[in-house]
Amino acid sequence: MKTAILLLLATAAFAQTLDPAKLSQPPTDTWPSFNGDYSGRRFSPLTNINASNVQSLSLAWVHRISLPSTGGPFPGSIKSSPVVVDGVMFFTVPDHVWAIDARTGRELWHFAWPSRGGIHIGNRGVAVYGKWLYFETPDCNLVSLNMKDGKERWHKQICDPDQLYYASAAPLIVGNHVIAGVSGDDLDVPGYIQSHDPETGERQWRWYTHPEPGTPEAKTWPSVEAMMHGGGMTWGSTTYDPELNLIYFGTGNPQPVVAHKGRLGDNLFTECIIALNPDTGKMKWYFQSSPHDTHDWDANQTPVLIDGVIDGKPRKLLAQASRNGYFFVLDRVTGKNVVTSTFARANWAKGLDAKGQPIPDPLKYPQIDGALVSPNQAGAANWPPPSYSPATGLFYVNASNAYSVWYIYDDTDKPEGWGGNDRGGYSEAMLQAIDYKTGKIKWSHKWEGPGGPRNGVLSTAGNVVFAADPQSNFVALNATTGQPLWRANLGAAISNGPISYQLDGVQYVIVATGDTLYGFAMHPR
Amino acid sequence: MTFPYRGLLLSSLLAATLAAQGQRGGPPRPAPRPLPDGPGKEIVQRVCGATCHGVEIVTGKGYSRDNWSNVVNGMVARGAKASSSEFGEIVEYLGKNLPPRSGTAGAGGSGFIGAGPDDAHIVDPEAAERGKSIYNAECLSCHGAAARGGKQEGTDIVRSLVVLKDRYGATIGNFLKLKKHPTTTGRPSASIEGSQVMELSHFLHLKVTDTLRSGPYSQPINVLTGDAKAGQEFFNGAGGCAKCHSVTGDLAGIGRKYEPVMIQQKFLFPKTFGFGRGARNVAPPKPVTLAVTPANGKTVSGVLVHLDDFNVSLRDAAGEYQTWTRSASLKVVKNDPYQGHIELLNKYTDKNMHDIVAYLESIK
Repeated sequence: MKTAILLLLATAAFAQTLDPAKLSQPPTDTWPSFNGDYSGRRFSPLTNINASNVQSLSLAWVHRISLPSTGGPFPGSIKSSPVVVDGVMFFTVPDHVWAIDARTGRELWHFAWPSRGGIHIGNRGVAVYGKWLYFETPDCNLVSLNMKDGKERWHKQICDPDQLYYASAAPLIVGNHVIAGVSGDDLDVPGYIQSHDPETGERQWRWYTHPEPGTPEAKTWPSVEAMMHGGGMTWGSTTYDPELNLIYFGTGNPQPVVAHKGRLGDNLFTECIIALNPDTGKMKWYFQSSPHDTHDWDANQTPVLIDGVIDGKPRKLLAQASRNGYFFVLDRVTGKNVVTSTFARANWAKGLDAKGQPIPDPLKYPQIDGALVSPNQAGAANWPPPSYSPATGLFYVNASNAYSVWYIYDDTDKPEGWGGNDRGGYSEAMLQAIDYKTGKIKWSHKWEGPGGPRNGVLSTAGNVVFAADPQSNFVALNATTGQPLWRANLGAAISNGPISYQLDGVQYVIVATGDTLYGFAMHPR
Repeated sequence: MTFPYRGLLLSSLLAATLAAQGQRGGPPRPAPRPLPDGPGKEIVQRVCGATCHGVEIVTGKGYSRDNWSNVVNGMVARGAKASSSEFGEIVEYLGKNLPPRSGTAGAGGSGFIGAGPDDAHIVDPEAAERGKSIYNAECLSCHGAAARGGKQEGTDIVRSLVVLKDRYGATIGNFLKLKKHPTTTGRPSASIEGSQVMELSHFLHLKVTDTLRSGPYSQPINVLTGDAKAGQEFFNGAGGCAKCHSVTGDLAGIGRKYEPVMIQQKFLFPKTFGFGRGARNVAPPKPVTLAVTPANGKTVSGVLVHLDDFNVSLRDAAGEYQTWTRSASLKVVKNDPYQGHIELLNKYTDKNMHDIVAYLESIK
């Protein structure tokens, strides 16, 4: 690993090579990973755009994707967070990667993966190591490209489409590891996360999201067979603390998803926040956000790393605004709970256990005649990334108050797959600013219009929060007060999380709507 | 690997299949299916195929009109943007042009949003029916009627890699040939071959399909479990429903008009598009109205067209479109006719909900 870093430093002067130190620094002239840095805060230290001048933010460029090489229809919206290295931006939709000029939006190259299937619901983007890119494909491959020209170096199968796995996550580079998560909850298969060698693509380790048989945690399943088919996918974004040398990620829903009678118990390690050593793949600790989940509320939302102060003492913390409506703050050294609160309506828990975990109310499990449950399946929050600003001490998340009715459809002896689902619903959206010390909502900005937001948040040292409403407005708000300051109606729903970087004194903010990327810029006075 | 996953320890015959799968190549992915031509196609393309997901997620499915209405209502709840009449057209289009498929695809093709590989086994329902006879005769006694494992020692075949890796009997045939697998009648497993293996393969893939969200377990079983009398009390009392509704007025015959599940969805979420019992008429929700008062003090009222933090627009009684920039001096009052229903979501117990269904269902 040391050799690799030295080699990288030696070549860092050349174009489109990432200095690995950038991955752990607040992003300025790069945005080198899904969240901009290892912390998952999505906080830009740049101040050229700020609360007093954001009204002057102007449109610098528009890039609409086209697929001349395949001629196929629109392949799915841009949910990826672009990555920016040495003035070049890399972004994805399922099976496709583009490189464009980060100053102009002009296309440099486009790579199309010849797919063999899998769910094409989204791709979260690329990871960068030296001069190489990495991304996942719906048909379960981890692909490495040369950043310079988009030529494939290698690909490795990371999951099995025949078992209805697919892959959508943005990989994360940690040292000489490419950390790759997997997706898929149609059949009852086990989740895992794994690490690959960035040079050769060889697998270094795989960690299954279920306990080993015979351990105390295995008793949270009625049988080894149920546990081995118990789900817990790893499709969210991963964060990393270099000092502790731990990666943090969430695990998804247990299987069968809704008809749960064959898996009574807490179902570890599904629906957990997990701390893992990236060199060995060994688990350090876990915290379960949704014990015995029955509502598809994957706990895959970003575990955001906060270096904060609790009761006057500096603490290494981790915060998650979970899909189930609960906000958790943990000590990221030990995994012990510091704060549990709700950030949106949640009617499914009876209270909290001694570990700070919600206790599910059996009356709100899906029922044959229906149970009215909040949140709905889409959740109080979902994959769109939240943000934490160390300047305001606030955690920002686009959230929903939502209800739907949950039914058991399969009442046979051994339901499998889903065996039920939710129907209908009501949902209202708001941007929540949460005080991480207490879990209390400092301010809440309700968005007009129906439906939940499907877009991420960026906060900046300029006291600005960038977010989006459900009506196609890309909005800048005062980070301290929540007052809306500026907007651009982009004519289609905002589909990803915004990013920011500065090149030649110009600060850019980038956001996507479906098939189009918008580059906004603040030019120096 | 920190833990060897026993379920994935493969026999040699499977290992070969897996190795082959690691290879890239094979036929290129067929171009995603476009939307069939028909009235409403453009609306479906715009609303369902250009923002959150591509259109292949729609064309990859086949549902009844009722199921499509459930899908569309779910998308409305998640923020899909269109007018009431457009949502009606979308449901009509989908129900007509993307009906349930006669040849149900196997582990892949018909899975929710196109799960599985492109070359997944496609089930031939007639062959599967013949395969069922073989299964019932030789396999059911151990593996159970649903092939999910039986009371005997039989394993869960739906979760078997021998089946999930199979295409048209290739892997299953090898397994039966090489494994000397026990059968109910004592017949040598290797004697199940040729067309019988193919038919058994279709049946087993059908059982896999049955576990998917697109399978037969996709409907509520029975929501009529409440107490109609208690529902009546809630309707006239604590629920406050009688303040706006009457079972001899606007709700007369409601129990004839809608299936119980639709009654449940309609009073909980009145913006749900109601599709009547066997009827095709769409009951569109009532619009939200606005009263906008500019600095001159003259209030303009009408149907909400757009409202966000920065702008507001409406269509007034004369059909004129009016639009303003929002400011401190512009007063905007919103009237959602369903506000009472929204507030009730925080109040209902599940018993209230079931009782109201029973009561309204009884209003014939």
